Amino acid sequence: MSEVLSAADRMLRERGVQRDCGAYVTSLAFTRDQSHAVFGLGDGRLVSRARVGADWQEQSRHDGAVTALAADFDGAGILSGGDDGTVRRFEPGTGAELMLANYGMKWVNHLISIVDRKAPLRAAAVGKNLHLLDQAGSVLRTLTHPSTITGLALDAKAKRIGASHYNGASLWFLRSDQTKPLSLEWKGSHLAIAIHPNLYAVATAMQENALHGWRISDLQHMRMSGYPAKPESLGFTASGKWLASAGAEAVILWPFFGGGPMGKAPLELAGGDRAMVKRVACHPAHEVVAAGYSDGLVVVIDVERQRILPVSAPGRGAVSALGWSDDGATLGFGTETGFAALIDFSTKETA
Amino acid sequence: MSEKLIPVTVLTGYLGAGKTTLLNRILTEQHGKRYAVVINEFGESGVDNDLVVDTDEEVFEMNNGCICCTVRGDLIRIITGLMKRRDQFDGIIVETTGLADPAPVAQTFFVDEDVKARTRLDAIVTVVDAKHVLARLADSSEALEQIAFADVIVLNKLDLVTPEELTAIEARIRSINRYSTIHHATRADVPADKLLGINAFDLARVLENAPDFLDDDSHTHDEHMLSISLTTTTPLDAEKFNAWISGVLAMQGQDILRTKGILAFKDEDRKFAFQAVHMMADGDFITPWPQGRARESKLVFIGRNLNRPQLRRGFDSCVAA
Repeated sequence: MSEVLSAADRMLRERGVQRDCGAYVTSLAFTRDQSHAVFGLGDGRLVSRARVGADWQEQSRHDGAVTALAADFDGAGILSGGDDGTVRRFEPGTGAELMLANYGMKWVNHLISIVDRKAPLRAAAVGKNLHLLDQAGSVLRTLTHPSTITGLALDAKAKRIGASHYNGASLWFLRSDQTKPLSLEWKGSHLAIAIHPNLYAVATAMQENALHGWRISDLQHMRMSGYPAKPESLGFTASGKWLASAGAEAVILWPFFGGGPMGKAPLELAGGDRAMVKRVACHPAHEVVAAGYSDGLVVVIDVERQRILPVSAPGRGAVSALGWSDDGATLGFGTETGFAALIDFSTKETA
Repeated sequence: MSEKLIPVTVLTGYLGAGKTTLLNRILTEQHGKRYAVVINEFGESGVDNDLVVDTDEEVFEMNNGCICCTVRGDLIRIITGLMKRRDQFDGIIVETTGLADPAPVAQTFFVDEDVKARTRLDAIVTVVDAKHVLARLADSSEALEQIAFADVIVLNKLDLVTPEELTAIEARIRSINRYSTIHHATRADVPADKLLGINAFDLARVLENAPDFLDDDSHTHDEHMLSISLTTTTPLDAEKFNAWISGVLAMQGQDILRTKGILAFKDEDRKFAFQAVHMMADGDFITPWPQGRARESKLVFIGRNLNRPQLRRGFDSCVAA
């Protein structure tokens, strides 16, 4: 058994850097210039690490928990949100910090930035409102939803933004004055959202242990059920062929080709260890999905070849944050008990 | 994982009953405990505490075909969020709006696996304005439901009623809910240790502390909302009981606000604790039955339009062959 576990740790041992952060890892983001990874913690700290040659850095930023992290629209910055109601910008390279907004007692639940040479944007989901902030931090527009926003996603061209909430999701054009979104309706509580890279469909994860999807061309419903737990985490692979999701003892992948997902069975990969998949993260370029489990196991799955590469062995706490850098060269993950690690997938030789 | 479950206290009460006064009293008392407080944004006044979460009460209907399965989604999100900093507090207090039906709050603790894995509903505490309660009960179903749901009732503003009025008020409250603990108060002056960390939602504990708690079979007077208790000393058949109670809750769950029970199953040495809020039910084997004493199963219903003979017959049909 210990040999198996030790083999499961080989990537962490040989290609990883790790740290015990001492608090729940709530979130993870990479700067757009790929120079730094940043972890957000349940006690308000941000822990960062430069890709090259540096050590871990740590700052206390939020009074409370860090609830959201995202790359800012420039290369160097990271946006952070907290249950202290603030949105901050932080440059891990210089340590520079800027307070962008303060929403008082409201939690900042989700952040996203939109790269645009002329007019970059930052989007902050606070309660029912999605605030679109300009470069200077002024509010351009506030998009209001029927209930609290539980997830945010952009389409691949960053033209549209989707927000999940009770009874469905809303899909907005970012650069228009429309006062009403495309309303995607389905009764129940929707907890997370993903947008197909070609805008073929929008999918949500539901409290009712299911995914739901809407085909954008005709708003046909796609029901994807049978999960033993809340899926919580979902995402489309780079090509849009597969919708990967957590909420089961295997990674559940629904086919979005050949007429699917309607009437098709999902692919179930990397299962059998009796731990629940808590987080999935699709690689930005390849048909590759990383998965983090309730027992701390992290694996990377080559979907096309159905091959599974263990990255980090069980035993370090349930995986609570997982993500790839934009260039796909680094996988980061963090756990509920404060373990954080970065795995280098960059070198020519493949494992 | 033997992590201790975080106790959650739900504080309800009609507008002006004194919820915020009670909350501030609890928080300023020297009890050495830290509480995360969840309030709604239409709250009457400020709450003096380090960790206050302001929320909209967002109730949603579960997409499972059950129309009374309503849940506070905001609470699921907030409780899950608070667990990321769980070393910063010892308990959670949720204050509801005066017009809130307590059912969605209670049902939240049945529905969500993450919430169930990390917290336990400690008690539903209802603050009642003695001066106005009889009028409220006459004109508002929320006031009635808040009393019917309560594990603990703080009967407040007693300086405004006569002893005779108090007797009548207590009789009225008892006719709705015979199984709550009533504390008297004038300015919401009830010590925190009578309200927090008391494990009142957990019937097993209540029974241990007051073994005769459910024994009283005297009939009640309110034809609309009442409590019924059923007992038997013959061991029950677990499958028969499950089939029967599932049918009862599926058929009458809208009218049955709460069901609680301690059950003795045949060939099982442990007590089975049963809990339901409307149609959502949960049960678990708990402590062993004491040696050498008769094992008595007890089941309590609080709700409207309860047909006692019918429930009695159904319960009796669950005894093991």
